Amino acid sequence: MSLDQYAAPAVHLMVNGQDMTIDVAPSKRLLAILREELGLTGPKRSCEIGRCGACIVLVDGAPINACLAMAYQCAGKHITTVEGVAQEGEGELDPVQRAFLEEGGFQCGYCTPGMVITVKALLSHTPDPNEDEIEEALSGNICRCTGYGGIKRAIKQAVKWRNGY
Amino acid sequence: MLLNRSNSGKRWRVRPDGPGKVTGSMAYLTDFSAEGMLYGRVLRSPHPHARIKAIRTERAKELAGVHAVLTAADVPGLNRFGIAVPDQPVFCEDIVRYIGDAVAAVAADTAELAALALELIEVDYEVLEVVDDAERALAPESPQLHPQGNVLHRSAYCAGEAQRGFECCAHIVEETYCTPRQMHTYMETEGGLFVLGEDGRLNVYAPTQHGFMDRMQLSRILAMPQADIRIVSSPIGGSFGGKDELNVQPYGALLAIASNRPVKIHNSRWESVRAGLKRHPMKITMKTGVDGNGKLIAHQVSIIADTGPYATLGAEVLRFAVEHVIGPYRYEHIKVDGVSVFTNNGMSGEFRGFGGNQAIFALEGQLDRLAEKLGIDPWMLRLRNMRMPDDAGPFGQPIAATEGAQQVWQALQASRLWQERASAGMGSSFSATTSEEPWISIGYGAAFTMHGAGLGVGIPDPAGGRLTLAADGRIEAVFGYEEFGQGLLASLEQMLIEQFGFAASDIRMIIGDTDVVPDSGSTTASRATSMLWKSLQNLRPMFQAKALEAASRLLALPAAKLRLGEGGIWQQEEQMLLLTYADLAMYSKERISCTTRFHFPTSPVDRVGAHFLYTYSAVAVKISVNRLTGRVRLLDQYHAVAAGPVINPQGFLGQIEGGSSMALGFTLTEEAVMENGLYLTKNLDTYLVPTIAEHRGTVEVEPIEDLPDFDQYGPRGIGEVGSVTLAPAIASAVHAATGVRISKLPIQPELLQLQDIESFLQRR
Ligand code: FES
Ligand code: FES
Repeated sequence: MSLDQYAAPAVHLMVNGQDMTIDVAPSKRLLAILREELGLTGPKRSCEIGRCGACIVLVDGAPINACLAMAYQCAGKHITTVEGVAQEGEGELDPVQRAFLEEGGFQCGYCTPGMVITVKALLSHTPDPNEDEIEEALSGNICRCTGYGGIKRAIKQAVKWRNGY
Repeated sequence: MLLNRSNSGKRWRVRPDGPGKVTGSMAYLTDFSAEGMLYGRVLRSPHPHARIKAIRTERAKELAGVHAVLTAADVPGLNRFGIAVPDQPVFCEDIVRYIGDAVAAVAADTAELAALALELIEVDYEVLEVVDDAERALAPESPQLHPQGNVLHRSAYCAGEAQRGFECCAHIVEETYCTPRQMHTYMETEGGLFVLGEDGRLNVYAPTQHGFMDRMQLSRILAMPQADIRIVSSPIGGSFGGKDELNVQPYGALLAIASNRPVKIHNSRWESVRAGLKRHPMKITMKTGVDGNGKLIAHQVSIIADTGPYATLGAEVLRFAVEHVIGPYRYEHIKVDGVSVFTNNGMSGEFRGFGGNQAIFALEGQLDRLAEKLGIDPWMLRLRNMRMPDDAGPFGQPIAATEGAQQVWQALQASRLWQERASAGMGSSFSATTSEEPWISIGYGAAFTMHGAGLGVGIPDPAGGRLTLAADGRIEAVFGYEEFGQGLLASLEQMLIEQFGFAASDIRMIIGDTDVVPDSGSTTASRATSMLWKSLQNLRPMFQAKALEAASRLLALPAAKLRLGEGGIWQQEEQMLLLTYADLAMYSKERISCTTRFHFPTSPVDRVGAHFLYTYSAVAVKISVNRLTGRVRLLDQYHAVAAGPVINPQGFLGQIEGGSSMALGFTLTEEAVMENGLYLTKNLDTYLVPTIAEHRGTVEVEPIEDLPDFDQYGPRGIGEVGSVTLAPAIASAVHAATGVRISKLPIQPELLQLQDIESFLQRR
């Protein structure tokens, strides 16, 4: 009866650097695959309509709402969740994560995985973003707790570290 | 001194829950899963008011993969819940009173199957007339929603004779203020995992602000002893008051017991919207009069609150509003009448600010309007009428005396932002600037508040906790409080380090698990940090004495020569570590453990809900108004907060910034719109919480830490105060910018759009 059982061809993905093949319906949402099939609960579920950004992951380096992306759209792609961010940097934490940690860019932390991914994507193509660029990049990430003060300070700090000043 | 990282020096610390949050490794309770787990779903009423004529569950039960289908008949205990008054049905038997009302619940192998099973449940309804307006609900001809009628609660306060007072007034302002149905919008919707253990005990992993209250309520519903229920309730992805009441717990628990399988429920956003609590929409009518010198003479208020279909904390919120419409001012005559009314709209209940947000918006609006009539600066009018340190509280009750009101008033007056206003020559008159965009008007505004903490007189408000040297040498701090993001763990850790001398690595904090923590009361009402502080004040001499005595015996040194420090027991004068905590734990014969229990301080009166401890705040803002679109932008804000010592600088700053952001939404964009008892705003595409785009301006936070020498209460709560004073400050600034008075929130841009922009631009 379950919709999933109609067609479950194998989808090939690269998640946080690991090759994997999963049997899921092509329309299955990436978020459900990550959280339920792979046990990666870093990406969060909140609005499921692409508005809040809690679910954001990198798909081939671009920030994507995992609540909207379907399995077939991710076939053959590199997915990076918040869990995979630290491995890419040196040391234990990515500079973006360290900046969120030290500046207090989180409270409840539920938006944080999506925020970290979005900021990482932003800095990868815009290493020294101005306020407009920050606003543009983060306009799809809602934080209900912080009022964005700590998040803005974290971005500033991450930029400093990244650019070595 | 402004609060920021550089001014805080070493006191700015990384939060203990931070690493898990920034790496995504910390599991929230809605991230939990268990082997053999089923997915639970709740069938809710499609009608805001209807009679249930029949429920047929057979087809759902026959569906393969469905393990439980439950209705009212399956509730073994009390089919009701509610923190204050259990009047909300777990499952409705005969009448549904709002579109969040539950009728049935299912547990199935997959989420898809559970959704399908819901569709197979057939319910016959007879639709009834919808009561969707609190005022009309009070009319005798309105359908009555409960045996007691449509009035949940009335609360009044009277001092002097307001009617006579108005006769002596030089100026009187009358206005009605309306505030929106604001949604908490915690990013983690309600949910959790429910597991019946092999020992027959029920394990509930679901966010709440008071685990022991959930345990009591669930025990009542399940007809199960409280001792057989364990509530694990932290960490939480945001709550703001919204998860204090039960939400999915009754369904998860009943389904887990019925199916004898672990059950997970995690609400979709729409389900969270339809079933969850909101801030009470209030209509507050005020008549306030002053004499020729601007002295407040008489203040008359009526409050109508739309509490929705069931009680939860509607009565308590109303009482809070009644207290806070009086606020930090002195009057000769006061008369307040409040009523909280049942309707078929959404559930209203506890929400950060607790009725203060609505009350303060209205009260401060009155002060602004009176100042205009008097032709004086609105900020000076506050000073002229402000309470003195030894004055009684709003209800005439004795309160803890501080100079908070004066302190925050002065601080704002001296602030950079208010000085900027003075030098811009912008008094209360409206004005505009910027030659490139002449349709943009700039305005400054300020507001003032005192906000109560704790549950107030007449309500059990226990507090306490435990410190234990565990067998492995860790110092365990055990409290029944919850971490929903506010930084409770960070504050607790910082106090243990600063007040006891421990290192972070010496400490193990345990919260949010009814099997192991004492009942420290609820994590609400801006009370937890104060209660942690007081608990540690009580525990420190006890713990120190026990630990040092035990160490003294082991080391054969007088206890007076020893002290607690990082890693263990140190020699008082010489900087030498003599005994690690691990060795102390291992070799000491007696267990080193201390407990404290006490009650949140209350005023010695019998006025239910009256507060004793208050936080004072003053907020100034600079805004711009686009006269073409009517959009208001917040450019700059300043918050002075008098709340005693700052326990955790990062947490303090975050609470004020975050509270203020919520208030910004309340002021400009947030409203869960309802029509005929149905939500028109179902998700975050139409319910607009502030984004980073609304937060381009600067925020300055200035804590005022001095307390009188005799004060014994330490830090006051700051969890709510950031969210209550911004709205009236913005309304005041909008008036300064445009000449338009705001009496309804969120501000409607239409009111600020110029009809005749041509002649406006010419005049400039
Ligand atoms: S859950 Fe994907 S954007 Fe909100
Ligand atoms: S930290 Fe709670 S939503 Fe951002």
